[in-house]
Amino acid sequence: MSATALETPAARPARRRDGVWPRLLRDPVAAVALGFVVLAVLAALLAPWLAPSDPYDNNLLAAMKPPGTEGLPLGADGQGRDLVTRLLFGLRVTLLMGLVATLAGGLLGMLLGFLAAFYRRWLDMPIMRVMDVMLSFPAILVGLAIAAIAGPGIPAVVVAMSIATVPLMARITRGSALVVMQLDYVVAARAVGCTDAQVILRHLAPNCLSPIFVFATLRFGQVILLGSALSFLGLGAQPPTAELGAMASEGRNFLFFAPHIAVLPCLLIFLLVLAFNLLGDALRDALDPRMRF
Amino acid sequence: MKGLVAGALLAFSAGVALAQPAPRNTLVILREIDADNYDPARSTARSAGESLYMMSDTLVSLDWDMKTVRPGLAERWDVSEDGKLYTFHLRRDVTFCDGKPFTARDVVYSIQRWVAPETRSPVRWRAGPLKEIRAKNDHTVEYELNEPYGELLYQLSLFFASIVDQATVERLGANFGVQGFNGTGPYCWASWTPRQELVLQKHPNYRWGPPIYRNPAPQVDRVIWRIVPESQTRLAALQTGQADVTQYIPPIAVSQLRQLPMVKMSTQENYFWDHFMGFKVDKPVVNDPAFRRAVNQAVNRSAIVQAVWFGNATPADAYMNPNTAGYDAEAAKLVPGYDPEAARRTLDAAGWAMGGDGVRAKDGQRASFLVYAINTQEGRRYLEAIQADLRRVGVEMRIQLWDATVGWGKLATQEFDAFIMSYPYVTATDGFSLYFDSRNRPTPNRMNWSDPATDAALQEAKTALDPNVRMAAIARAQRIVSENNVWLPMAREQIWVAASQRTEGVRAHGIYGVALYKGLDIRLTR
Repeated sequence: MSATALETPAARPARRRDGVWPRLLRDPVAAVALGFVVLAVLAALLAPWLAPSDPYDNNLLAAMKPPGTEGLPLGADGQGRDLVTRLLFGLRVTLLMGLVATLAGGLLGMLLGFLAAFYRRWLDMPIMRVMDVMLSFPAILVGLAIAAIAGPGIPAVVVAMSIATVPLMARITRGSALVVMQLDYVVAARAVGCTDAQVILRHLAPNCLSPIFVFATLRFGQVILLGSALSFLGLGAQPPTAELGAMASEGRNFLFFAPHIAVLPCLLIFLLVLAFNLLGDALRDALDPRMRF
Repeated sequence: MKGLVAGALLAFSAGVALAQPAPRNTLVILREIDADNYDPARSTARSAGESLYMMSDTLVSLDWDMKTVRPGLAERWDVSEDGKLYTFHLRRDVTFCDGKPFTARDVVYSIQRWVAPETRSPVRWRAGPLKEIRAKNDHTVEYELNEPYGELLYQLSLFFASIVDQATVERLGANFGVQGFNGTGPYCWASWTPRQELVLQKHPNYRWGPPIYRNPAPQVDRVIWRIVPESQTRLAALQTGQADVTQYIPPIAVSQLRQLPMVKMSTQENYFWDHFMGFKVDKPVVNDPAFRRAVNQAVNRSAIVQAVWFGNATPADAYMNPNTAGYDAEAAKLVPGYDPEAARRTLDAAGWAMGGDGVRAKDGQRASFLVYAINTQEGRRYLEAIQADLRRVGVEMRIQLWDATVGWGKLATQEFDAFIMSYPYVTATDGFSLYFDSRNRPTPNRMNWSDPATDAALQEAKTALDPNVRMAAIARAQRIVSENNVWLPMAREQIWVAASQRTEGVRAHGIYGVALYKGLDIRLTR
């Protein structure tokens, strides 16, 4: 008992020197999640070289063939296209949609959050109330509205996903920035005559990045799910583009007859979202200064 | 084996969804969607027609062959020499659901209400060039036209021309067909819970059913039209005896249902509900007749129809179903068959040269066109297959699917180059007048097809006195349109009605897409 108590402090200094990556990878769940994400991104990037067939060329004779059919390890969809190919290309579109939406919505949200925190007297109230209004609109409704006006398609879904991300990111950013704003070095930077832009970019932003990064990772998973849901409703990818949500939607009607068409894309979405959520959780733990002991 | 598993799964999901068994002597009919109202003058929905045929009658009825007009409320009729005056002699034993006797005044009122501009019926053109309708006496109606109209009797068999009771219409106003109804049909309005169920009660005096039925009187006490949007739930309810009849069967399930002993399936070969793609003939790229011809040659209809409808639709190799009155076999020969090599030759000859990106071009214009469609299961799937076929011959087809709520509005615009659509029709003249008359631009003539020769042929097909001249005229219209490849005819739906084990006498009719028509001859054994 006392031996352990004595040994533990000895181990501490070694850990304290660890960076974020080693601490992250020490968690086996996080390592697996990260591995899956890396694999998925690689598969998406290399889809044109990995895919065994043309994603848009159909073979109606092979329509709905089950997994394991010769030449079709995961079966074929309703158009007789190889599901391996379709999943690879679907992954590509889904990840890209998630990335663009998280980046666009995240950057805009960050900007608004910093502005609200920095110009607290003038901008905090208006910006954050607008964010509250935006939060009260369900993202699906926003997606439906955009699709009704501009026509369904990937851009409509990405815009809806971005809009849904902005207020959340603005809140997180503002929260962290308000804390940092009180710190001495910010006051010092202002005292030596830095412009507002310099203070925000050089001193405020770098010190708020941890929670933003964690949130972006978690949000990425949610955004993928939202994008798939919108595509499932027919608002997203238009034929013949492969997109995981749209693929699930196509297969839904044949769930009893050819379950693989819907189940495989759903499974992939599930794994992706799970991986990003686990990764986000682990990242938060790894970045949390209170956990560094 | 696979069918059994699917059946068991279906049964399981039904047990969860609707757990009440169908009541005694009550026919439970399932359908996908409800109608906005049940007023024949204000709704053109098939779901309205389904119930209106049961709640009301028309002057004439249509036989199973979809060609022979039979008596309805009129037991006989005469047509004047000049074809402009139809005299209908009405039955004397007919009463409305509330017991009031039916007379010629009711016919005059209902038809006048249908065509009156203030009613704003979208299908009032179906009543023809009506000059005046008048009651000669209590049981004789004179229907006078400005010019002959060979289609009149077919049109009067459609549910838009249903006879309704003036007093009830005036009492309920805008709520007629919403809060109540009064017709002369075999079943009477009992109650309606929108998007759930419409309950009808047997009309006790009714014995004037069309002669196409063995028994002119209804044999079930109640009919419930229940809305079940999910197809799997509908099928499961049917197999477990919680419902009796449905015509809303996904094509993939038809062959399995036909093998199930507890489900009785009925079909009808004279069923006219076709799918097609129409080209806007005045838009770039698709305004080239050779281009449209090549599209027709490049698309493998048989393979697509097999993959999309699982053998439960027929590839449309002509603009009209061969069983329709007025079908022209010569015109059918002008519709190109599947031949991708010929498609490539046609495009080459017309100057569409293959470009580096796999898409042809001519004078700097890429061989690319935009299709609008309402997002339906079948539509999406066959568009995607057409897209793949066209890609092989160097043509790019872009697809834009719309939700039904905005889709009809989008289809009325000039933003697209082609569209897909499916529709019911009665005769060749009926279908062609709807789509190819230049006066019907921009909808339903979304192709902007404006051709004086077609218009003249359609006019003659409607107004000529001699049936042979009418046939020749509609044949001419079909040839002109076929030669110009204004459409890519796609598929002819088949109608299938599934009935539970306790149900007898269910036979698919299919007028305007309505399977059960008057709902007569149907009995329940348990």
